Amino acid sequence: MAQIQPPGFPIERGKIHEFANSLLDDDPLYHDLNAARAAGLPSVVAPPTFSSAAAFFSDPNARGPSMKGLDMRFLLHGGQELVFERPIFAGDELHSEPGETTSWEKEGRRGGTMKFIKNEMVWRDQAGEIVLRVFNTLIQTAGVVKD
Amino acid sequence: MRENIWNEVKVDDEYSIELKDLNRSNFVRYAGAGGDFNPIHHDQTFAEKAGLPTVFGMGMFTAGVLARVPSEWFGPTSIRRYSIKFTSRIWPEDTVTFHGRVTRVYEEDGVSHADLELKATSQKQEDLIRAEATVRDWKP
Repeated sequence: MAQIQPPGFPIERGKIHEFANSLLDDDPLYHDLNAARAAGLPSVVAPPTFSSAAAFFSDPNARGPSMKGLDMRFLLHGGQELVFERPIFAGDELHSEPGETTSWEKEGRRGGTMKFIKNEMVWRDQAGEIVLRVFNTLIQTAGVVKD
Repeated sequence: MRENIWNEVKVDDEYSIELKDLNRSNFVRYAGAGGDFNPIHHDQTFAEKAGLPTVFGMGMFTAGVLARVPSEWFGPTSIRRYSIKFTSRIWPEDTVTFHGRVTRVYEEDGVSHADLELKATSQKQEDLIRAEATVRDWKP
């Protein structure tokens, strides 16, 4: 897929509106510019997990862990931790840089050997200030995990 | 956001949201909005080839809805930390309860904070996500 230019993650009001609707969330601070301004905010707020939508704008220089060698059929998302320095608003222009990636293996009871991959992404705003750190844990299982 | 939340919040306060019959359209709408096009979440043929009965929802969809608990309760600008662990998968037609409880109320650098314990539980009483959040009285 084509990359957005210049590379980055532009925080857009329309995308926030769409994302909040997909979570069935009607909070005016996600949808209504006037409500956001009346609350003293520069624009509508990005919902807490909005950084997931950065998948649309991934900068080839700042990707997460390589998916090479991972079997998408048996890849699970183990967890995620978000640490905010401040809320993110429409109009922000974010850039990510990869932090440390670690991996380890563990014997699972239901799906054979499991490989854990944990990576960090650091998001900075247009002023170069860190606004968000995202830690993701992926789990590669050896086969289908039965519930 | 609740009026006067920071004057009233105390340990063991609770907040819940219930969503009935979440379905494939919810997953597809989230794929479009969030950019997760792993076919395991929308392609029945792909899911069956992987040995599953049908598609299942993205963990980040459930996590996004669970984040509504702290954001509706304390306001969308209050989120300092949100940490989630996926424990089970969401399937089409699940009814899910999203629940939060205050575990700690404190001040840090003169700013009110609260720690929350969160979970998303299906109608089968199965926890889909267990999470924690820290919220604070953030001012513009």
